[in-house]
Amino acid sequence: MMALLLCGGGALAGPKVHQKPSDFLKASLGAIPATQAITLSARQQAQVRAILGRNYKTKSVRYWSKNGKTAFILEEIGKTEYITTGVVVRNGKVDSVKVLVYRESHGWEVARTAFTKQFRGSVLKSNGQISSAPRNIAGATLSVRALTKLARLALFLESQK
Amino acid sequence: MIEPTPKRRRHFARKWHRWLGLVSALPLLWLAVSGVLLNHAQPLGLNDRMVTSPWVLRHYHQLPDGRPSGLQVGTRLIAEWGSELFLDDQPLALQGELCGAVAYQGQLVIATPERIGVFDGSDEMLLELDDLSLPATPVQGVKVLDGQLYLAAADQFYLLSEDFFSAEKSQRSFLTSPPKELASEEAARLEKALQGRRGMPLSRVILDAHSGVLFGWPGWLITDLAALGLVVLTLLGLRLFPKRKA
Repeated sequence: MMALLLCGGGALAGPKVHQKPSDFLKASLGAIPATQAITLSARQQAQVRAILGRNYKTKSVRYWSKNGKTAFILEEIGKTEYITTGVVVRNGKVDSVKVLVYRESHGWEVARTAFTKQFRGSVLKSNGQISSAPRNIAGATLSVRALTKLARLALFLESQK
Repeated sequence: MIEPTPKRRRHFARKWHRWLGLVSALPLLWLAVSGVLLNHAQPLGLNDRMVTSPWVLRHYHQLPDGRPSGLQVGTRLIAEWGSELFLDDQPLALQGELCGAVAYQGQLVIATPERIGVFDGSDEMLLELDDLSLPATPVQGVKVLDGQLYLAAADQFYLLSEDFFSAEKSQRSFLTSPPKELASEEAARLEKALQGRRGMPLSRVILDAHSGVLFGWPGWLITDLAALGLVVLTLLGLRLFPKRKA
């Protein structure tokens, strides 16, 4: 039993849905507007690679716009699993970040509002970094990095619309 | 009650030491050898060597369960194995139960009940659509009729726009074709391709064999018994250590 807890306990944890993506869009934009997408050119793909360290999972990235706000639902791997995250951008600044589906066994602390609110008001600097990087969470370093990358990606995509 | 004499005690200790040593020899030998290997895993390159045996890969959930099935689209095979999807032998970022696949405007459209993935013919996904962009879910199938892409979802039929982002209800209907179980050769080819990509580091396998967890509860039971046996052997050995009185 101890071996099971030590070796396999984490694997037993399933995905945790904090908010359905459709509910996130309704809450952030008031409704679900028509889907739009940015199809990344080779140059843009290279810039995305610089942010994520690899290509994004799709070549076209969907977004939803309403009332001057743009919502992205993006996914990035924390350690081994995708973290589905909603990012709302307004006037080139992060308006809100919300972890929608968390699938990793460790690092769920990044889903707390106390952590995600650190992104509010962040802008993309000329060097591609975010203006206010969030504080690290011990034991959730990879998830913190993943969310920071997604915030940078959303700001970059907003600038490319 | 008669106290055993020192001679009888020595005889008892020797007898148990001999037989316990014999029974524990093999597991202890394995623990010793694997322990030395683990201590020198880096210089021996055990972290870089990969184990690709199907049994080991299944143990670590690196090979999906069940039998693979698939749909043929022209010359391309879209296979489903567990909840993983493959284009020919390449794993796809899209996951789920395969419920349809068609070629449409030079692209491959692959459907699962929750999502649709659009691929450029390679394993790179161009676009992923879910309930935020689809007219309904669960998706039941996709079909190209007269050059247009139709979707069956939630017992309705829809005509999808060229950019996939809008849909209108359609009166046209079609039968969806479920994936068929792959022939033995195709399944073996897929398994071989996966084995080539999904090895487990030899050091990890040795570590789990060292602790016994690789073999389930019999493994760790034997390891525990061997460790306890070593403790008893040590005590018996100490008991035998003093010189025999003349």
